[in-house]
Amino acid sequence: MHSSARGHGWVLGIASFALPLLVWSAISYLPFLWHPMVRITDPGQVDYFVKDMQIERATFLEENRKLAEAGRIPAQGVRENPVYLPAPHLVAKALFTAFRTPPRLAGDPWLHESLAHSIRIIFYGFALSCLVGIPLGLLCGSVPPASGLFEPFIDFIRYMPAPAFGALAVAITGIHDAPKVAIIFIGTFFQMVLVISNTARNLPKALQQAAQTLGAKSGQIVMHVVLPGILPQLYRDLRILLGWAWTYLIVAELIGASSGISFFINQQAKYRNYANVFAAIIIIGCIGIGTDTLLKYLGRWLFPWEPRR
Amino acid sequence: MNGMTGIPLPDYTALPEAVRERSARIEAREVVLDVQSLDKRFGKAGQETEVLQDVSFAVRRREFLCILGPSGCGKSTLIRILGGLEPKSGGSIKVKGREVEGADADRGMVFQEYSLFPWLTLQQNVMFGPKMTGRGGTDKAAEALQWLEMIGLAGRAKSYPHQVSGGMKQRVAIARALANYPGVLLMDEPFGALDAQTRTQMQDHLLQIWRNVDVTIAFITHDLEEAIYLADRILVLDAHPGRVKEIITVPLERPRRREMLLSPYFLATRKRLEELIHTGSGAERDLLPMIRLTQVGDDVE
Repeated sequence: MHSSARGHGWVLGIASFALPLLVWSAISYLPFLWHPMVRITDPGQVDYFVKDMQIERATFLEENRKLAEAGRIPAQGVRENPVYLPAPHLVAKALFTAFRTPPRLAGDPWLHESLAHSIRIIFYGFALSCLVGIPLGLLCGSVPPASGLFEPFIDFIRYMPAPAFGALAVAITGIHDAPKVAIIFIGTFFQMVLVISNTARNLPKALQQAAQTLGAKSGQIVMHVVLPGILPQLYRDLRILLGWAWTYLIVAELIGASSGISFFINQQAKYRNYANVFAAIIIIGCIGIGTDTLLKYLGRWLFPWEPRR
Repeated sequence: MNGMTGIPLPDYTALPEAVRERSARIEAREVVLDVQSLDKRFGKAGQETEVLQDVSFAVRRREFLCILGPSGCGKSTLIRILGGLEPKSGGSIKVKGREVEGADADRGMVFQEYSLFPWLTLQQNVMFGPKMTGRGGTDKAAEALQWLEMIGLAGRAKSYPHQVSGGMKQRVAIARALANYPGVLLMDEPFGALDAQTRTQMQDHLLQIWRNVDVTIAFITHDLEEAIYLADRILVLDAHPGRVKEIITVPLERPRRREMLLSPYFLATRKRLEELIHTGSGAERDLLPMIRLTQVGDDVE
C-alpha cells in the first residue's frame, strides 16, 4: 500500500505542476478561450488608434461597426491577453535572460544582486529568531514556571501581524536593512517560541523515566534523552517557520527603502515587463522549494532513525 | 464459574513436593527487595484518596513475583513507586538492605509502552545504562552485542527501534534493563501491548532469560494465566485502597511448560485467583439495563 502510494506520488507530483501549466498555456495560446483584448496592427481610420496599442475587444468592435456604417476603412488587430498575463514561453525566456539583462537604470541592482539581498535579509532575521527563540522555547517547554511567565505575553503578541510593526521598526532602526530584519524576526520569533516549547513538552515522558531507571542523572537526561529526542521535530518546526520567513520577506522589503526581490518586481511592473515579474515570482518559489527539499534530505541524513513520512 | 462443576480440583495450597522444596530453597536466600508498610495517598490534605495501604512483602534473590490485581487497584502506582518514579507517602523500600529514594540503576524497569530510545540503534539502546552509570565492563559495545545475542537479536544490532516489531522492542527493553545488572527487574505489564501470540512467546523468552541471568523479578499483570505461568509467588492486590489480599505460592514445578495451563493445579490456582479478584466487584456482573431489540422467537440462548 505504501509503495504504490509512493509510486503514484511521483505521477501526482508531476501532474500537480503540469496541470496549472496546461491551463496557463491553454489560456495563452488558444485565442477563443479568453483573449479579451485586441492589439492594433493597422489603425485604419479610427483617429485615436495607434499601431501596437492594446484595446478592449468590445471597444474595438464598436469602433469598427461605426466605421463600417460610415463606409470608412476599418481597423485591423489580433486578439490578445492583457499585458499582465504573458504567455509561458515569454516567461521562460525571461527566466533565461533575466540574470543577463542589465538593469534599466544604472545603479539599480541586477536580478542576482536583488536575490542575494533578499536571502541575506531572510538569513539574518531567521538566524536572530533562532538564536533567541530556540533556547527560550526549550526553556518554556521543559520548565513549567517559565512557560507560565513567558507564553501568555508571547501568545498575545503573536496575534499582531508583523507588518503592523513596520513603521515602528523604521523609526527605531532606520530605513535600511535593519527594519526588514526586524520584521522577519517579529514574524517568526513568537511563533517559534510557542511551537518549540510545544515540541519540547511533547517528548514522551516514558523515555525520560526509562533513562532515570537506567541510572541517568538530570544532566545526562537533558544531553542524552531530551535533546536527541526532540531534535527531529525541532528541525521540522524550523523548516516550516523558514517558509513563514519568506512570506514576511516581501512585506519587509517594502518597508523603508524598498530593496531586494520586491524592489525588482516593482520596478519590472512599472516598466510593464510582466514576464520578468512572473520570472521573479517563480524564482522565489524555486528557491523556497529547493531549500526545503535540500533540508528534507539533510534531515534524513541527520536523523536516520526517523521513519520516512 | 459457579455453575460449572467439571473436574474436581486439588487444594491450591497443597504444594507438590518439588514445588515445596523449591520454595524452601528460595526462602533460604537473602531478601533483595523488602517493602514494609508502604502507603500512597493522592490529593490535598483532608480530601486524600488512599491508593496503597500498608503494603508489605519481600522478594528473595532470583525469585519471580507477580503482582496481580483488578484494574485501578494501584498496581501500576506500586511498581512506579518501587522504581522511584513516584514518591511514596509512607513506609520503607529496601533493595539489598539499603533504603532507596528516587530512581536508580539498582532497580531496572520495563514499561508497557515502548520506551526504547528511537535515535539509538538496538545495540546503543542496550549500551545506554552502562554508559550512563559506568557499570559493566570496559568494552560496552561487545557486551551489548552479547546481550542481543542472548535475546536472539544480534543480527539486528544496527537496526533502529522503528524497524523492528513490538515483541522485539520489548525484548531489547528487557536486555537494556539487564545490561545494568540491576538487583531487581521491575516489569509494568510489559507484554500488555502485544498480540496474544507474541505475548505467549515473550513469556517463554522471559523465563529463559530469567533462568540464565542472576536477576530478581517483580512483574505486574492483570492477566491471571500470565501470572500463574510465570511466577513463583503471586501477590494479589485488593482495590480501593490497594492492600495485599493474599500471597499465593504457585503449585507448579519448573521448568514451566505450556501443557501446564491445563493441569489441575493450574486450574485450582486460577479458580482461587478469580475468586479473589472478582469478590466485591459484583457490579461488573450486574445485568445491563437492556431493552429487547430482536424478534420474538429469534433467541440465541
